[in-house]
Amino acid sequence: MSLSQPTRFFKAVAILVLLLWTAAVLYPLLWTLLSALKDNPQFLTNKPWSLPETPLHWNHFSYVWKTYHFGDYFLNSVYVTVISSVLAILLSATTAYVFARFEFKGSQAMYFVYISAMMIPLILGLVPLFFLLNDFHLINKLNGLVVVYTAWALPFGVFVLFGFFKTLPKELEEASYMDGAGFFRTFFQIMLPMARSGIVSIAIMNALSNWNEYIMGTIFINEPAKYTLPVGIAIMQAEMQYRTEWGPLFAGLLISMVPVILVYILFQRQIAEGITAGAVK
Amino acid sequence: MSRQAQRKIFIFTFLIPTFLFFGIFTLYPISKGMYISLFDWSGSSEHMTFIGLDNFKEIFRDPIVWTAVGNDYFLVLGKVIGIVLLATFFAVAVTRFRIRGQQFFRIAFFIPNIISAVVVGVLWRFVYNPNIGFLNSFLSLFTKEQIRIPWLGEEATALWSILWPSIWAGVGFYFLLLVASILSIPPSLYEAAEIDGASQCRQFWTLTLPLIWEQVKVSILHIVMTTLNGSFVMVLLMTEGGPDNSTQVLGSYLYQMGFRQFHMGFAAALGVIILILSLITTVILQRVLRRDAIEYS
Repeated sequence: MSLSQPTRFFKAVAILVLLLWTAAVLYPLLWTLLSALKDNPQFLTNKPWSLPETPLHWNHFSYVWKTYHFGDYFLNSVYVTVISSVLAILLSATTAYVFARFEFKGSQAMYFVYISAMMIPLILGLVPLFFLLNDFHLINKLNGLVVVYTAWALPFGVFVLFGFFKTLPKELEEASYMDGAGFFRTFFQIMLPMARSGIVSIAIMNALSNWNEYIMGTIFINEPAKYTLPVGIAIMQAEMQYRTEWGPLFAGLLISMVPVILVYILFQRQIAEGITAGAVK
Repeated sequence: MSRQAQRKIFIFTFLIPTFLFFGIFTLYPISKGMYISLFDWSGSSEHMTFIGLDNFKEIFRDPIVWTAVGNDYFLVLGKVIGIVLLATFFAVAVTRFRIRGQQFFRIAFFIPNIISAVVVGVLWRFVYNPNIGFLNSFLSLFTKEQIRIPWLGEEATALWSILWPSIWAGVGFYFLLLVASILSIPPSLYEAAEIDGASQCRQFWTLTLPLIWEQVKVSILHIVMTTLNGSFVMVLLMTEGGPDNSTQVLGSYLYQMGFRQFHMGFAAALGVIILILSLITTVILQRVLRRDAIEYS
């Protein structure tokens, strides 16, 4: 089918704009890598978009990893991210399943409480949360972050997985009960694997937001050895006023971005599913 | 054990741990936040003096709060317009204009959304850096003298300079949402429109937009809520509310009052104000944006 004249013009404009935006989102990644390989004089005298001069300063990566303790921050981030994502999935899948399949007094009210919590600004709870964690001796502990990240991920997890379990046919469970399986076995052996795609989406979205989280990380952790990557980067950026090390700073950014982008490319489909599951329905 | 008893045990073991976590670390802090807002409390001392609504009175008298509310809504308006226009345009372009590479654009445009706000903040601070930053270096190509505008350090430009990265980092999510929504429109409707000789432009206004309106509405409400509740992160990372509190939003002011100046009661009261504002705004918007759902069969 041939397109009419004005449409062809619109199409050309649209392609141009799309390409511009592609540059706007991809160029910063490339630019961060190139800048990580520059030393200070290159930042001060050359244009920001100029290519790094040889020799390339690959040593900036090992430098931030060791001297700026990004190696420790990286491990801290991995720990917090993995544990809290797994915990949140376990806790929200179990509750979502009960809401989706079992009627009992107050079940609707309880579900409503979870859903309403998604509307509440997280920042309202920050002050009391600080003192609560303090009472539990969880300030300056990675497990403190684990607990908080897990809790804050629950409403969204319950909401999306509730929808997921609802769509599974009831015959699955009935057949399992006929075979003499109990409630627990039916859930873990039949229903949980059936909801795999929803669970993977939620787990990845939780992991991404936990990996990137900054505010709670900076409020609840004040001990440098326990910093997560985002907190470490923010601190390093603040120190730039006193000692300027641009190259290593951008190397640090890259250390934080690379795992996220790898996970994103690997699980692109599940992430897109997670988004549409949460919002389109 | 009877089936009934087993069922009860199952429900309890599946509900209780989750609800304990949720109750202790979400419900309790939120309600305690509302409670603390009625007290004068520095956090460290045991003394919490009940002062009723005095924190709220103080809030209404504080000129920084009014600046912050204005800034909050500036960012809301700017982000809604910027993100919705761009996301809709991109979504229509990759789905309806028969442009190749839809999958590529979907993957690429979401990348800013998966990057930490901290990283976005550092990158954009470098863009705005007065001496060696991108923006000034670029502008200097066209002038004789080196331009050294402190974008984040001047009241006239600071808030706008926070808006752009927020739009940049936000578009991808809503783009994916709207693409999914447009793809769910039955192709037969477009075929019928083409047979009737409707132009692309007309197809957009009479077909695409009405049918994706529900998602556009969801997007707008979502942007409004996340901006009112979360834009303070960007502010803290880019300007810390400065210069001279001119870019302060309610959230960043809360952070400063609570965790820097230990004015906990006042900070908690600011939290309550944020909650009230975001509830009122979403309710009003839901009314304004209501438009009878159109169904083509």
